Amino acid sequence: MKLSKVFFNGVVKENPIFVQLIGMCSVLAVTTAAKNGLAMGLAVTGVLIGSNVVVSLIRKVVPNKIRIPAFIVVIATFVTIVEMFMKAYAQDLYNALGIFIPLIVVNCIILARAESFASKHGLLASAVDGLGMGVGYTLALLILSILREFLGSGSIFDIQILGPSFEPAIIFLMPPGAFILLGILIGIFNSIRNKQASKEVLQKEEAR
Amino acid sequence: MNETIKLALILFIITAVAASVLAISNSVTSERIAEADRLASERAKMEVLDIAEEFKQLDENRLKEIVGDNTNITEINEGYKGSDLVGYTFNIEVNGYGGPLTFMTGISKDGKITGIKVLVHEETPGLGANSTRPFFTDSFKGKPVDSEITAVREPKADNEVQALTSATVTTNAIVDGVNLIRQIYSEKLSNLEGMEVER
Repeated sequence: MKLSKVFFNGVVKENPIFVQLIGMCSVLAVTTAAKNGLAMGLAVTGVLIGSNVVVSLIRKVVPNKIRIPAFIVVIATFVTIVEMFMKAYAQDLYNALGIFIPLIVVNCIILARAESFASKHGLLASAVDGLGMGVGYTLALLILSILREFLGSGSIFDIQILGPSFEPAIIFLMPPGAFILLGILIGIFNSIRNKQASKEVLQKEEAR
Repeated sequence: MNETIKLALILFIITAVAASVLAISNSVTSERIAEADRLASERAKMEVLDIAEEFKQLDENRLKEIVGDNTNITEINEGYKGSDLVGYTFNIEVNGYGGPLTFMTGISKDGKITGIKVLVHEETPGLGANSTRPFFTDSFKGKPVDSEITAVREPKADNEVQALTSATVTTNAIVDGVNLIRQIYSEKLSNLEGMEVER
């Protein structure tokens, strides 16, 4: 399998948010501000790459029967490391994300990639898969959080864009607004994806 | 039976490795975390009581004597400028929307709230977490301690502070906390005798 294919599989074809719709809880909760969305995305990416690499390394020595607890231990370890370093070197960010950092442990994206990819593939492919999925996750969070912050607070990355006359639509900071925006984004993303897919099919047929 | 032991052993090895990795990263970061916490607390005291230059924490007995049953007030510091006592800072833990919320309030000797700062919270980002932002915390500055503080959308009166949109629980938790501190200050720490606490 080509590595670029593995990478773009995570970013576009099997984007964890827009296509697989997994790990929604923290997505809806942290994307109220662009800064939080980006930080959460990077934290998840870091944990994904780390856990994918280690799971791939130990995949042959861990018996099938205990693979889930073993993977969870690996994931929890990485999350705790990220938490410690964030607390030590980026305390503001840590305070902003609060409870959602420890909750990365139970984020299904990470266990899903460990189970469905890293436990069956080699080290490099697993690392690239983690990176691709992480980038896809981060991009989705970034788009959603920029839109929500812009509509809900009139700013992007804490920089005020719209003047004081702008009446912020608070609903976009609340869970219902997140669902509405997420639904629209998934629709747009999938219609683009479908068009591209049908184009590829057409090109293949023409090439024949 | 044999297989069970083997599985347990493998899991044990994995968790042991994980524990030692965590121990290493803890020893790398713990000092920095403690230092960052200490600096943050020092900075917070300076921020909520900016007229003071030095702080002295009240010992446990004195704290107990002052707060009585209100054990959610966890720390009181005296703020000094030179040798003059200029005010106090109070740490209080209240129940926010997402869990416990700790914040600090400063009260100057002339009976004004000099500032508040949220130290630890688990509030919703973008909503209750806005309680850490200046537009909220600054609205407490300069409020007199002798009148009950209320949070409103557009503060005008001397006892009104900024309410957080869509975060009523957070706002109320903090405002109630400030009111409790206000009351305790007026009853126990201000030397203005015979002053009645408005309720």
